[in-house]
Amino acid sequence: MSGERRPPRRGTLGRVSARTYATLVIFFLFAPLLIVVAVSFSSTPNMNLHAGFSLRWYQQIATDPLVVAAFGRTALAAVCTAVISATLGLTGALGAVRLTRGRWRTAVFTIPLIPLAFPALLFGIGLATFYHAMGIGFSIWAVIAGHVILALPFVFLIMGAALERFRFSLLEAARDMGAGTFTIFRTITLPLLRPAVLGAMFLSMAISVDEFVIAFFTAGSQQTLPLVLYGRINLGVNPGLNAIGSVLLVVTMALAFLAARTSVLELP
Amino acid sequence: MTLATGVLPVAAEGTLPPLRSRSKARRERGSTAMLLAPSAIYFVLLFVVPLVVLLVYSFYTYQNFNFTAKLTLSNYTQALTSPALRDFYFRTLKIAFAVSIVVVLVSYVYSHILMYVLPRARRILYFLVLVSLFGGYLVRIYAWRTMLGRDGVVNSFLISTHVTSSPLSFLLNSNFAIVIALLNFLIPLGVLPIFSAMQNISPRLLEAAEDLGASKLRTVRTIVLPLTTRGIRAAFAFCFIATMAEWVTPQLLGGPLDQFVGNQILYEFGQTLNWPLGAAIALTLIASVVVILGALFGLLRLVTRS
Repeated sequence: MSGERRPPRRGTLGRVSARTYATLVIFFLFAPLLIVVAVSFSSTPNMNLHAGFSLRWYQQIATDPLVVAAFGRTALAAVCTAVISATLGLTGALGAVRLTRGRWRTAVFTIPLIPLAFPALLFGIGLATFYHAMGIGFSIWAVIAGHVILALPFVFLIMGAALERFRFSLLEAARDMGAGTFTIFRTITLPLLRPAVLGAMFLSMAISVDEFVIAFFTAGSQQTLPLVLYGRINLGVNPGLNAIGSVLLVVTMALAFLAARTSVLELP
Repeated sequence: MTLATGVLPVAAEGTLPPLRSRSKARRERGSTAMLLAPSAIYFVLLFVVPLVVLLVYSFYTYQNFNFTAKLTLSNYTQALTSPALRDFYFRTLKIAFAVSIVVVLVSYVYSHILMYVLPRARRILYFLVLVSLFGGYLVRIYAWRTMLGRDGVVNSFLISTHVTSSPLSFLLNSNFAIVIALLNFLIPLGVLPIFSAMQNISPRLLEAAEDLGASKLRTVRTIVLPLTTRGIRAAFAFCFIATMAEWVTPQLLGGPLDQFVGNQILYEFGQTLNWPLGAAIALTLIASVVVILGALFGLLRLVTRS
């Protein structure tokens, strides 16, 4: 980096309008989320100025066996997705950075990213027809298998970035001193890549918890939390909805925050 | 590399010291393949194969709420010629264009502000967008339903500020609601690639332009804009693809006449159980998206070159 340059001078007017613009965008992005959380603590079913603070909706969903079961499944899916995609992503990225020649390297670094831009609807019905053709029933495991595909590109990007900074000479040194492949992996590669692995796992969990479309097509009767939310939205007004939504939001955001904190997503 | 730099602010390509003896090289080629194999097999088995199966199913014959493995082209003729589907398609296309253009504009200005006007707030402003990208797809859509309804916050606010005397009904179950919700979850997807493209511009170029006396507008037009076209293209493509294949938003926020192609696909899968037709509609949709984006970017290249 050539030294950070002083930003070009601007009139106060420019900065004030820039600040206003940025604030408005952030407000627009977060307004719906704040509303959902705010209403979830309201003592009346609707947003009402005279409503008091209450935890009744949280009590309600905490004693709702359907919601509790869905929460358990969502947690299971998140953990499994994280473990599987981190394992696959780490081995894949370790293999990918070894490639030096042009065409293969480009392919290996580009193809895994396709699911990022691929519409979830198509992947969802694709998976559903695939399971149908194979005679595999819809279940939470069917959902997890799909979530791994969605999480893999992110894991791959994060691992790729971490490996770019990785000092491979350390591995050579260890090998020259007689360390075996597994020892090297356990004592050098993994500890050094720990932040990336953890961050990738947090992000995979965030993706899985929040994911709706794939789960919609492949969960069958084993509903996840977003599916319960969707089902109840269609049933009409149900005050517990905001509490479910808030739980989902807080969990996803916390996981995304943790992923960013483990510094896998470089902040400018 | 095309997507890698566009999506997340991480570099995807590593560099390896190319110093290896030839005897080692052969051994390592084997272990490279072994490292790549698990993820490659998984990817093919659970991403490529399902799409191939979808393609095969799109040629199956549908009869009496069931389908058989008798191959036919009739699903595609139906997908391409049905006037009802054409309505769904053009409605979706119109909104996809509008939403993608607005997302690109809003994201571009936002990225510009982060990069050049408020550099000290850059980190936090970027972080907020990044976090909101991963937060609550369904929850957001549902939230707009509460906010834009008759008794929602937006109407309460408009009435209390005397902008309107009675609640506005066009806010919900309308194109308006769909567009607002789409913008709401797509703007982060637009900021990421555009900002990362802007970040990759060497500050020296801008210094040079300034030293040579170029106005700010001219610097943006001749340096920043041409060097961020890849980011703009990525942002536009993401939003366009996402909107073309969207179905949750129109279902929860649109009226019966505002439904997208995606809703029709869902209908074939869920209601009529005509999976072959649903698959045919979906694959025609994605093919048309690829053609449109290809033509658009090709045209753009022609225009900018001349």
